[in-house]
Amino acid sequence: MRRRLVLVTLLFASFITRFPVHSSFAQAPENAPPPVIETPPPSSETSPAPVPADEHRLPELLPHEPEDAVMVLGELRNAVRVSPNSADGRLKLAQGLYRIGDLDAALDECRVALKLRSNDARAYLQLGVILLAKQDGHAAAIALMEAILLDPELTHAHYSLGSVQYSLGHLTAAIQSYRRALELQPNFPDARYRLALVLKLTNRHQEAAQFMEEAAIGGVPQAQYFMGNAYRNGQGVEKNLPLAIRWWTNAVEFGQQRAAESLSQLRRQALSPDQSERRRKDAIEAFSQYRNELWADYPGTVRSDASESLGIALLKDSQASNGITALFAEAFALSETAQDELARLYETGLDTRLAQFDRRILACFATTAADGFIPSKKALARIYGKGLGVTPDLQKAKTMLKGLSKQEAKAILDEIAGR
Amino acid sequence: MFDTSRLWRQFLSSSWLQAGAMGLLATVLAFGLWAAASTTFTALDWAAYDFWLTDRAPIPVSPSLLIVTRDPASEEEFGTGPWDRAIFARLLTSAHESGALAIGLDHRLDHASPAQLGGAASDALLLEAISTAGPIVVVQSPDATFASNTTIVGHLLVTAHSDHVARAVPVAATGDRQSVPAFGIALYEAFQQQTSPMKPSLSEGGTASLLVNYVGNGTIDAFPTVPMSSVWNAIEHHESDRLTEWFNGKVVVFLPNPIAGGSSLLSTGQTVTSSVVHLHVLNMLLTDNRLYQLGAASHSLITLLVAGLVAWLLLQFRGTTSLLFAGMASATYGALILLALVAAHLVLPLAMPLTAALLVLVGTTIWSHLTAHQRLMLLEQDMLRLQQEAAAVREALVLRETRAETLQEDLAVARTAITQSTGRQEELTRSTDLLRTQLADAQTQEEEARRKLEGLEQQLHSLRAATSEPLAIGDVELDRLRDECRQLGIITQDAGLLRLYRDLKKGAKSPLTVLVLGEPGTGKELFARAVHRLSPRTGKTFIAVNMAAISPELFESELFGHSKGSFTGATADRRGYFELANHGTIFLDEIGDLRLDHQSKLLRVLQERSFYRVGATIPTTVDVRIVAATNRDLQRGVSEGWFREDLYFRLTGLVFRLPPLRERTGDVLILAAIFLTEIAGQMGKPVPKLSNEALRALVEHEWRGNVREFRHCLEQAIALNDGPLLTKESLRLGNASASPAGQAKPSQILPDPASDTAVLNCLRQHGFDMQATAKTLGWDRSTVTQRLKGLSFQALVEANGNQAQAAATLAGDPSLTRTVELKLMDYYDHLLTTIQPFATVAEALLDCKRRFKNLPDRHFRSVETLVRQYFRQDKPTSLELRKGF
Repeated sequence: MRRRLVLVTLLFASFITRFPVHSSFAQAPENAPPPVIETPPPSSETSPAPVPADEHRLPELLPHEPEDAVMVLGELRNAVRVSPNSADGRLKLAQGLYRIGDLDAALDECRVALKLRSNDARAYLQLGVILLAKQDGHAAAIALMEAILLDPELTHAHYSLGSVQYSLGHLTAAIQSYRRALELQPNFPDARYRLALVLKLTNRHQEAAQFMEEAAIGGVPQAQYFMGNAYRNGQGVEKNLPLAIRWWTNAVEFGQQRAAESLSQLRRQALSPDQSERRRKDAIEAFSQYRNELWADYPGTVRSDASESLGIALLKDSQASNGITALFAEAFALSETAQDELARLYETGLDTRLAQFDRRILACFATTAADGFIPSKKALARIYGKGLGVTPDLQKAKTMLKGLSKQEAKAILDEIAGR
Repeated sequence: MFDTSRLWRQFLSSSWLQAGAMGLLATVLAFGLWAAASTTFTALDWAAYDFWLTDRAPIPVSPSLLIVTRDPASEEEFGTGPWDRAIFARLLTSAHESGALAIGLDHRLDHASPAQLGGAASDALLLEAISTAGPIVVVQSPDATFASNTTIVGHLLVTAHSDHVARAVPVAATGDRQSVPAFGIALYEAFQQQTSPMKPSLSEGGTASLLVNYVGNGTIDAFPTVPMSSVWNAIEHHESDRLTEWFNGKVVVFLPNPIAGGSSLLSTGQTVTSSVVHLHVLNMLLTDNRLYQLGAASHSLITLLVAGLVAWLLLQFRGTTSLLFAGMASATYGALILLALVAAHLVLPLAMPLTAALLVLVGTTIWSHLTAHQRLMLLEQDMLRLQQEAAAVREALVLRETRAETLQEDLAVARTAITQSTGRQEELTRSTDLLRTQLADAQTQEEEARRKLEGLEQQLHSLRAATSEPLAIGDVELDRLRDECRQLGIITQDAGLLRLYRDLKKGAKSPLTVLVLGEPGTGKELFARAVHRLSPRTGKTFIAVNMAAISPELFESELFGHSKGSFTGATADRRGYFELANHGTIFLDEIGDLRLDHQSKLLRVLQERSFYRVGATIPTTVDVRIVAATNRDLQRGVSEGWFREDLYFRLTGLVFRLPPLRERTGDVLILAAIFLTEIAGQMGKPVPKLSNEALRALVEHEWRGNVREFRHCLEQAIALNDGPLLTKESLRLGNASASPAGQAKPSQILPDPASDTAVLNCLRQHGFDMQATAKTLGWDRSTVTQRLKGLSFQALVEANGNQAQAAATLAGDPSLTRTVELKLMDYYDHLLTTIQPFATVAEALLDCKRRFKNLPDRHFRSVETLVRQYFRQDKPTSLELRKGF
């Protein structure tokens, strides 16, 4: 009880000292408030639209559409006007203000709510989150600790405290907080990801890899990307390039640009003539093995020969959706068969699943062609030469044919000309 | 106390010691001054380096160095504040992929990334990139949040000197646990490990800090840089060719922090960030343009050396010369500084040595003034000491020299004794045998030769008779004259003498006074008699009077006679020699020995042919032919005043100078034959023969007593010889000739003055150095010694045994007196030791003769005198005398 009193006193002291300074900056910020939790940057790859695992996130902290937020804010203000002494109303208003980025106003509302109900753990949590957003790590830590004192079971408070501790450079304390959050809620992949990151930063790679894998399986794309990295570098796990490709591909599905970058890098490693033979062979083998391992995801599918594409097999097996996913995966993993199939599907389309001249296919070709994949280059040359779904651009087609043998280039140009 | 004064003396006399002390003091003072005004002194000390940096040709930029800098375009992309670490991760990975050999990142891993800069994910990405891209050099931070075993931390410290100018970089900064290398050095070492892993680490070199050799003006502009935005674009667009071109095989340094401003002030006047300074260090190492500086100890040592040298120059060469030398030394040092900098890239201290030199200049002047008097005193003392030492050395030298000579003499004596004793016997036996056979041969040959000679003479005689008239007349005349001479008792076949005889024969007929001159024994009386015999008075009286034999009191009585009762004992009238010779001839022998008063009396007789008998009143007139003779030089007597000139002119009517026997050696054989026959006849012995050797000896002998001596010699030989042959030995010519020569000048102690004086002068000139004198005279050294020894003995005799006086006389110059005295003492000592064992003078002298056989004879008389004196005195006294020396 005594400890709590001290903490509260400290908290108020910090408010008193900071308030005048903050008040001058209390106007609405020009930029959107920095997200409390990292969000993946928008995907440039036209992979199947990633479905965020929203169920694991704090719903009140997620930014909603601005129009909604403004309307909600008006309602919340009305509610506060009706009953000014309701702490809950104030807290909700604070949340609303936080969503639109008015951190100072949100802070004020939180403080009023805390005055109305001083032992509200959630209010402290809210306060801590806002302070964290305002980059006041120390004050945020105190608020979150107060919240934890009031309600030690408050998982989100532990999780946020972990982040605050980390930003303060207290890595061990951060690890403890994340562990506590995981104890309270084992099914919390983000906490696992955070814990794995901090463990990784303290050079506990094996433990980190374990938590990272769990988070990746839990669907955190950053974790999947890092997992891919771990498998590539052999950090904490045994080196395994096919697995790295798998995790990166998974991350790319969630729009992880870095993963796409890593994959692109690996493709270049496999295709570029500048690379050493060993590295190239490693990369090619990795992609080949990855494609083989894809078959294991669909146990029912029968594989007739080693070079057969899983996507084609699935399409044949009338599993159109899976087939297309598999085709894309194989095409990104440098499968010429899948590539040809996709080229065909680009022109024809596949009932409702795949439109004619699908942009995703074009993006896939562009990506792999940029990485130096010859079949993609040929396909793109034909597409641009013939103007399949795009404006005909012979120059671009010719550019695509650069680096090919003369005969191949001539054959394709003849084909374009024969149209 | 003694030690202190000796040390002080040592100190004052050694300019090295003084210079050392002065240098040390100046160094300490210079350090004090430095501490007092460190900014000024530091700036001055580094002036050469600063000047050189700004005004020399710029050093090249290493082609292996690539610097990627933050530019406005990249700030537009990544923001103006600190950047997301994920960006660094990508840069590092790309650089590594593109073949960079060593990568440096001007970034500290000291804080967790805030959420807006990627948070933990970015941190993890950076660490991952660092671990894949191999060792990356990052900047050290005191509280590093992250650690990776593939990072190398390097510090960005810059050593600013007390004038606030950054010139050096510490090689390593020691943190809490480990030492951290400098950023630039760490990068260089990482690069070295990639290119040549065998090279030793620079940080192990032992130097604490590294002087920076700046490129250009020391700013980042001196390096070619690549903007961050270009690199990022290339990465984004997968322009691997460009990236490879930039990064492959290079040291890549990313400078993601703003590089404007900075806190390090350079010698060039620019202000840069410490990372730029480290880039210059890196470039300096890559292009191998290292600069070297000396440690504090070397600094002090050089200061000490320069100060010491200047002090020494000032002390050693006083006056303006010293200032000139000191100035030259300082200037030389200045030149050395520049030279070391240009040639060896070595920065030598400037301010301290020159300050110390200046201090020394002042200090030395003061010191010289303070110690001048004392130094003078010391110098005087030294001079005295040296003089004493020189004298002592000279004494020792003299003693050794004379001792050596004495020993040499002894050795020579011993040697001759040995050779004589061993060789003599054999030689004697052999030579007697040989001589006997030779004698027999010689006798037979002589007989034969005589026979032949007689035959030849007869032949010659008959031949002469047959040849032309004028020649025959000469020879005949000579023969006649010879025969005439023989009748008169003059035995000669010498043409000169015969001619003289002819003249005499002619002159004898006149009444003129005749004066016969010649050495004793040349036959003056014979010729006087010949004058009488050949004159018209031949039938009258011939009276010969030896003037030297007449007692002075009886001179008048003997010559002029006396009357009865004229003096006691004059019992009857007596006629004098003049009266007795009336109408005849009177021969006045040894006229040169006549006293002056007698000379005047004689003169009257010669003038007037009349005289008074002693006691008579009537003069007596006589008709007498006067022939005088003497062996003395009357002309010299006239000039010296012991012979009256008028008498001399009265006597020299006809003058005949008889040649000595040595000038007519042709007569020796005839005389010998005649004398031998005569003497043998007188002695009743068979006429002996002369051996060839004996004949030669007779001819070669210098007959000082002339024919008289010659005859005596033969008489003695015949009297003492038993055999039929007279050998050279039996003639005893050695003794015979030596003793008269010795007796001829009995009173003469001082020998041949000219020669001795010359030797003495020469000795004086050379400070009585035997060797030098011998060289000058062209003599053997021992000869000179013998002469000096003789002179010493002589001088000792003259000084009545007073050695100091004798030495002074010999030395002439007082400075040499001591040397001479020592020699003299030693010679005398030797003499005493030689004669000491003998009981009598004779024995001692005999030994001396043997021992001092090389001493000139004339000096031996001095020896004799000294020996006699010694034996006359008590021996102990003389010994004491010796000890006294």
